[in-house]
Amino acid sequence: MTAVIEASGLVKTFGRTRALDGFDLTVQPGEVAAFLGPNGAGKSTTIRILLGLLRAEAGAVTLLGGDPWRDAVALHRRLAYVPGDVTLWPTLTGGEAIDTLGRLRGGLNEARKRELIERFDLDPRKKGRTYSKGNRQKVALIAALAADAELYVMDEPTSGLDPLMEAEFQKVVRELTGEGRTVLLSSHILAEVEKLCDTVTIIRDGVTVQSGRLADLRHLTRSAVTARTRDDAAGIGELAGVHDFASGADGLVTFSLDGDHTADVMAALAARGIVALESAPPSLEAMFLSEYGTAKASK
Amino acid sequence: MSAFAGTGMLLRVALRKDRVRLSVWVGLVVLLAFYCVDAVKAAYPNEGDLAALLGFVQGPAGVAMTGPGYGLDTPTYATVFAGVYALYVYLAVAFMGATAVVRHTRADEESGRSELIGAGAVGRFAPLTAAGVVAMGASLVTGVGIVGATWSYGSAADAWLLGACAASVGIVFAGIAAVAAQLAERARSAMSMASAVIGAAVVVRGVGDIMREHGSWLSWFSPFAWAQQTRPFAEPRWWPLLVPVVVAACLWAASAVLLARRDMGAGLVAQRPGRSHASRWLAGPYSLALRLERGSIIGWSLGVGFSGLLYGSLAASVQESLANLPQNLKTVLLAQDGDLVDAYAATMAFFDALLVACFAIVAVHRLASEEAAGRAEVVLAAAVSRRTWVGASVVAALVGSVVVTLAGGLGLGIAVGASLGDSSRVWPLVLAQAAYLPAVAVVIGVTAALASARPRWVSAAWALVGWGMFAGFFGQLVSLPQAALNASPFHSSTSPGLRSSRSPPLRSWRCWRRARRSWASRW
Ligand SMILES: Nc1ncnc2c1ncn2[C@@H]1O[C@H](COP(=O)(O)OP(=O)(O)O)[C@@H](O)[C@H]1O
Ligand SMILES: [Mg+2]
Repeated sequence: MTAVIEASGLVKTFGRTRALDGFDLTVQPGEVAAFLGPNGAGKSTTIRILLGLLRAEAGAVTLLGGDPWRDAVALHRRLAYVPGDVTLWPTLTGGEAIDTLGRLRGGLNEARKRELIERFDLDPRKKGRTYSKGNRQKVALIAALAADAELYVMDEPTSGLDPLMEAEFQKVVRELTGEGRTVLLSSHILAEVEKLCDTVTIIRDGVTVQSGRLADLRHLTRSAVTARTRDDAAGIGELAGVHDFASGADGLVTFSLDGDHTADVMAALAARGIVALESAPPSLEAMFLSEYGTAKASK
Repeated sequence: MSAFAGTGMLLRVALRKDRVRLSVWVGLVVLLAFYCVDAVKAAYPNEGDLAALLGFVQGPAGVAMTGPGYGLDTPTYATVFAGVYALYVYLAVAFMGATAVVRHTRADEESGRSELIGAGAVGRFAPLTAAGVVAMGASLVTGVGIVGATWSYGSAADAWLLGACAASVGIVFAGIAAVAAQLAERARSAMSMASAVIGAAVVVRGVGDIMREHGSWLSWFSPFAWAQQTRPFAEPRWWPLLVPVVVAACLWAASAVLLARRDMGAGLVAQRPGRSHASRWLAGPYSLALRLERGSIIGWSLGVGFSGLLYGSLAASVQESLANLPQNLKTVLLAQDGDLVDAYAATMAFFDALLVACFAIVAVHRLASEEAAGRAEVVLAAAVSRRTWVGASVVAALVGSVVVTLAGGLGLGIAVGASLGDSSRVWPLVLAQAAYLPAVAVVIGVTAALASARPRWVSAAWALVGWGMFAGFFGQLVSLPQAALNASPFHSSTSPGLRSSRSPPLRSWRCWRRARRSWASRW
């Protein structure tokens, strides 16, 4: 199975800023790939390179089997794009903008367009300049999602949407992948990625920090443990896999725990007589914060 | 006074933000004044030779393009500057004042910056007041610069009068722009409105001054006339400047009243719901570019067509005036073209061609503004190549130019024909107007090349129109060298039957190819 997107060693500089510094990304057909990173990490820059809007200074990119810079027009017929910062033509209505954007990339599915306008609760008769941020986002989303494309590339697609609309968006994306289409979306909203995505690539300062299936990545992350023991639990802090150990006055200890060492540490805790135990599952939030946090610390 | 709170802070922000742009504006306008003063002296080293100018400036076309002609019966360097060139200095000051106000009011509001500011401890009228102070300050500084330029004429009182006139024009048009900025919802439309008023003021003054020597009642509707009627260096009088002072005060009051009545970000014209689907016709990059340009094409066609009608309707009085002209003038004028009405109409066609070029630049400007706004990105991320995208804007500008040209040519032709009762006049004038299309194509090509190479350079294209106007109206008078004349794309295209217009299409083709190449290689 050949990858839909295959990028390796991407480098892009803007003057002194190194937006991308040897970035790798692979997306397989039929999956929802997320692209996670803090603001300024280089997500939008990568997407623009994938679309042939920017040219990478080094590295190799293949998109749908073609070269995004050279074969831009042919490739763009097979994909749909939602930009990170949606601006509409002030004098065109939302409905006109949706139709125009759709026709510019080679047509859109009329029935699905009508359905999406309904589902996203958009008034298509307003002029572009009068839409709120969320409604501008809906226009761009409908124009892209109503297209019959093989690949959907979306840069922070839910920014500005309210929770109801966000849920609706996730439903639509699942319907699309159910039909075997591929989705690449960037985000800094972790909950969305957790709910929606099969694979995740974490980017920070223009380099890939981690990438893989969401389920696999969770093993690498730490759970937050809070416990109260009958005997003194001070020795726990020295065990392998325990980090950020702290003990309170009333015998309460908190620490974070690497997944691979769970069995040993639990045994040690049990030996000291567990009174209460609480363990929060590893959230992407924690993973993200730890990745981003260490990046900051190492600077 | 809380409605004005924060004005001082906004003023400092505006000056900081605008220091380069405003200094360049003021510097260029003052430089223009110094240059004109110098150019007349260089072209006519002997003041007595200035009489040769009379043939041009006392004919109807000359009056339309210069002024009411005070002190030109016995021309001196000073009266020639005040009577002929000052109008163009005033025109530049008018645009400076108007753009400064729009930039600091509606443009900020449209971009959302005002919302950020308005949420701070800033009064409702503060941004408008700050913009007004910036524009008036710039006008006054320019006025002082112009005093410096005309100082060498030896009459301090007249020099100060002329400087005050220039400042008054800037202040009045700043007020007009302030009102436009309240009415229009977008900076672009506000600037179009203000430009339309400037254009109308030029035309009204021209027609008014042709109707009667030294101006008629109609002239007095134009801010340019208020300045010119002070007759600096001829029979100076200050009182006409009371009119711009009062009018500017009323305009600023009106803009404040309008501002107090509307919501932030809104215009005064209410929004109606539009179409829920795009028409079948709006289907590709070319039709999109034309659709986005549609309003502008209609507006400019009406404006240029109307100015053509107005100028053309004077054909009969032009012909009549021939009878009253002294014999020596008649020979000068008739030697030009053989037919005074044709010579007059050809000048007007040239004027309209400059307007068409202005439309074209604004249209191609869309390349830069669409890119800056991020809308180019979605179009280029669809199945549209960079070449097609540039090409669509260029084609829309060309199509628009043809339409505006036709409107101007028909307006001029029909009005001249009707005025003289001679329908055979119509088509030659439409053709004369169309003969400038290759020159407009050059302007489009240069603008597209600039926008493609560096969107920020696109404004440099205005220099082409500025130079075209200067070379066209004054090139012969100040004996510019042939190479300088040829640098104007409008130079080789004159009315059919005179010179051929071979070079511009070639030049425009080259610019166009360069534009496409530089787009493809950017990044
Ligand atoms: N056109 C540009 N010019 C200069 N710097 C840029 C440009 N585009 C992006 N950058 C810089 O590159 C970095 C990555 O930006 P971006 O890809 O937009 O980040 P993200 O989308 O992840 O928030 C940032 O530091 C940003 O300031
Ligand atoms: Mg981004």
